[in-house]
Amino acid sequence: MKYYDESEVIAWQCEKCHQPLAMGPVSVEYLGNRFDIRLPKCEKCGLILVPEDLALGKMAEVEQILEDK
Amino acid sequence: MRKNKTTSLCPVCLKRIDAEYLFEDSTVFLLKTCHTHGTFKTVVWRGEPSFESWDRPKTPAYPKTPRQTGKEGCPYDCGLCNRHRQKTCTAVIEITSRCNLNCNTCFADTEKHTAPDPTLAQISSWFESVKRYGGNCNIQLSGGEPTVRNDLPDIVDMGRKAGFEFIQINTNGIRLADDKNYVQLLKDAGLASVFLQFDGISDDVFLKIRGRKLLSKKLKAIENCGKNNIGVVLVPTLIPDINLGQIGDIIRTAKDHSPVVRAVHFQPVSYFGRYTDMVSDDRRITLPEIMLHIEKQTGGQIKTNHFKPPGCENALCSFSANFIIQTDGTIQPLHQNTGRSCCSAPSPAAEGAEKAKRYVARQWAFPEINGEKRVPVSPGMSTPPSAQINSPNGLTALDAFLRQTRLHTLSISAMAFQDVWNIDLERVRDCCIHTVAPDGRLVPFCAYNCTSASGKALHRI
Repeated sequence: MKYYDESEVIAWQCEKCHQPLAMGPVSVEYLGNRFDIRLPKCEKCGLILVPEDLALGKMAEVEQILEDK
Repeated sequence: MRKNKTTSLCPVCLKRIDAEYLFEDSTVFLLKTCHTHGTFKTVVWRGEPSFESWDRPKTPAYPKTPRQTGKEGCPYDCGLCNRHRQKTCTAVIEITSRCNLNCNTCFADTEKHTAPDPTLAQISSWFESVKRYGGNCNIQLSGGEPTVRNDLPDIVDMGRKAGFEFIQINTNGIRLADDKNYVQLLKDAGLASVFLQFDGISDDVFLKIRGRKLLSKKLKAIENCGKNNIGVVLVPTLIPDINLGQIGDIIRTAKDHSPVVRAVHFQPVSYFGRYTDMVSDDRRITLPEIMLHIEKQTGGQIKTNHFKPPGCENALCSFSANFIIQTDGTIQPLHQNTGRSCCSAPSPAAEGAEKAKRYVARQWAFPEINGEKRVPVSPGMSTPPSAQINSPNGLTALDAFLRQTRLHTLSISAMAFQDVWNIDLERVRDCCIHTVAPDGRLVPFCAYNCTSASGKALHRI
C-alpha cells in the first residue's frame, strides 16, 4: 500500500490564490460513507490536494471495498 | 428483461427440452415437457424480492480458447464451448473420490466411487489445463473429502507454484480438527481458505445430514485454522424440516468467530442421484425464502434488501452482501442500499468475473494488515476503537475503516445449485464455477454434477 509524505505535499501552493496549502480538516464521502480526514488545502478558496499516492493507495482501497460485488 | 422461455433437460432421458417459467402468485415454477416422459413442474422461486426484479444483466464473455466435445450443444458440449457466456471465476479440482463421511446430500456421490486417487502428475496437468482454458482463477480442491490425502499439502504447493494465488479446500473439517500438524502443513504450503461444511449449531442436525455428531469437530477445525491464519467460510446445506431454524444461529456463530470465519455461504439443498419420483416442492427452499429467514432470525439486523444479485454468475444463482461487525457485536451493512435500479443496464460479464474473483480471494482468506499477517486471534476478539488507532498523516478515519473492514467484514451469501429437475440452460451458460473433468475440460459445476432420475450422470464418469 502507498502512503504519502506530508512534508512533500506541503510545498504546494494554490495556483489561483497563490496561497501555500496547509493541512486542514476535509470530509470525503463515497457511496454513502463519510470520512473526516486531514488533507492539504487552500485556506482562501478551499481547493484540496489529494496526493497521488493517497488517491492510488488507501483511498482506492477504501473505494474498492465499498464497491465490492 | 429476463425471458420466461428457456431450455432444460428431461429428468428421465436427459434430452434437451423446452421449458418455461410459470407464475402463480409470488411463486415461480419451471415447467417442462418431454414428449416421451411427460411434464415436470418444479418450484424455483417463492416470495420477495420478486423473480422479475432479481436481475443483473451482463454482456457475455465468451471463452477466448473454447474447447468442445463435438457433441450436440449445451449442456453436452462443455469444455467450455464457444457459446458459454462467463469466464472461470473458480475452478473446482476433484483430487479424490474417497470420503470419511457418507452424506445423503453429496454432489460427488462418493459412495459409489472407489476409483484410485489421481496421481500428482494428473493433478499437475489439470492445473495446467485450468491455466490454459480458465486463466488465473481461484482454485477449490474438492472431492470426495480432499483431506483424506496425506499429500494434500503437496497439491496445494503445486497449485501455488503453478501460479494460482488463491487455493481453498472444500472439506468436512474432521481431519482439520483432529490433526493440527496437517493444518500447519497446509498453511505452510500456501492454503488460503477452508470451505467448511457447517450445517447447524446442534448435533441433531449433523446426525440427520451427515450421519454423525460433528459440532465439536467443526468448532475445533475453526480453532485450528485460526491458529494458522487460514480463513474459514461456513457452508451450510439448507434442508427444509432439518436446519432452516438455525440460519440466524449459524450467522451468530460466524460473527463470534470473526475474523477467522470470513463468510457464511448458504447452499439450498439440490437433488442428485437416484429419485424414482419427482422431488416434491416442500423439500426445496429458494433464495428469497433464505433471505427472509435471515431477516427474521437476525431480528432485522440483516434485511432482505441488503442483498444484491451477483455481478458474475446468473442472477438466479445467488445473492450476497457484506457486513461490518461493530465493536459492540452488532452488524451493519457495508454498502448502502442504493436500490437495484443501478443494476438494470447490462455490465460486462468479464468485469463481474474479475471483481468476484478478487473479492473472494481477499474476503475468504485470512486478513492482512499493512501487508503483515496478523498474529492468531481469539474468537470474538474485538477491534480497538478507531480513536486508538494513531495515524501519522491525518488519515485516522480511513485507517480505522480499512482496519475494521479488513478484519471484521462478514460476507453472507447463498448459491442455488441446479439439479435435473430445475436446471435452466441459460443459467448454465452464465456459470463461473467450473469443474475440471478428468480429461482437463472445464464443465459448469451444475452440468458436471447433474444426474437423471435414475442416477445416470450427464458428465461425471
